[in-house]
Amino acid sequence: MALKDKCPPRQPGKKSTDRSDDAFELWLKRGLHQLFDDVTKEPVPEELLRLIEEDRKRTK
Amino acid sequence: MTSSFHDEMLAILPRLRVQALSLTRNRAAADDLVQDAVCNALAAQHSFTPGTNFSAWMHRILRNRFISDLRKKRETSNIDDVPASAVAGSGAHEDRLVIKELAEAMDRLPADQREALVLVVMQGMSYDELAAATGCAVGTAKSRVFRARRQLAAWLYGEERDISAVALRGAVRRLRAGRDARPAVSA
Repeated sequence: MALKDKCPPRQPGKKSTDRSDDAFELWLKRGLHQLFDDVTKEPVPEELLRLIEEDRKRTK
Repeated sequence: MTSSFHDEMLAILPRLRVQALSLTRNRAAADDLVQDAVCNALAAQHSFTPGTNFSAWMHRILRNRFISDLRKKRETSNIDDVPASAVAGSGAHEDRLVIKELAEAMDRLPADQREALVLVVMQGMSYDELAAATGCAVGTAKSRVFRARRQLAAWLYGEERDISAVALRGAVRRLRAGRDARPAVSA
């Protein structure tokens, strides 16, 4: 399947419409989520949490 | 310092990790960057005014740290560190290839445009927030997002490339790598 078929349709030579821009925006948002969501769901490294908690105790 | 400072710090960590990955394109480097930024922020916490925009303050610290590190060692990482599951997980083969194409296209964008796009399109920041988080004018923030979006659109479907071309490029790369790795054969 052609790559362009996976992207929202655009008509070559025609000025972009708001609708095609919105479709691209949606497609892009979904793609970025697929690329970056993993990192937001991973547990935060223990060392980093400890660093913050130790500072919290120290500055209390 | 009140405990809310640390609570806010904990709450923003996932977003900082995304920003760091968008800048560094490398998981390990992103983790290091977040940790360094957190250390800087903890050391400078008294300079933060409670009630002001913590998110912008924190994103800016991370960004400044990235730039400072870059100046020290110049950029050496040019590889994508696309999460494995993003390109090898569930979904159709074509979908994975398209996501891989998007990852490669993202990789080709300048770091400031990549960061702007991720913060606005994926994380839902407003242009005002992006400007505050990256220490630039609102117009510059808008322009970065606009240029990144336009460039991606041109790369991803402005050209008449298709999946077979993607596969062909991969095959050529593998052949070249195999050829370069082979010892020369004497006649």
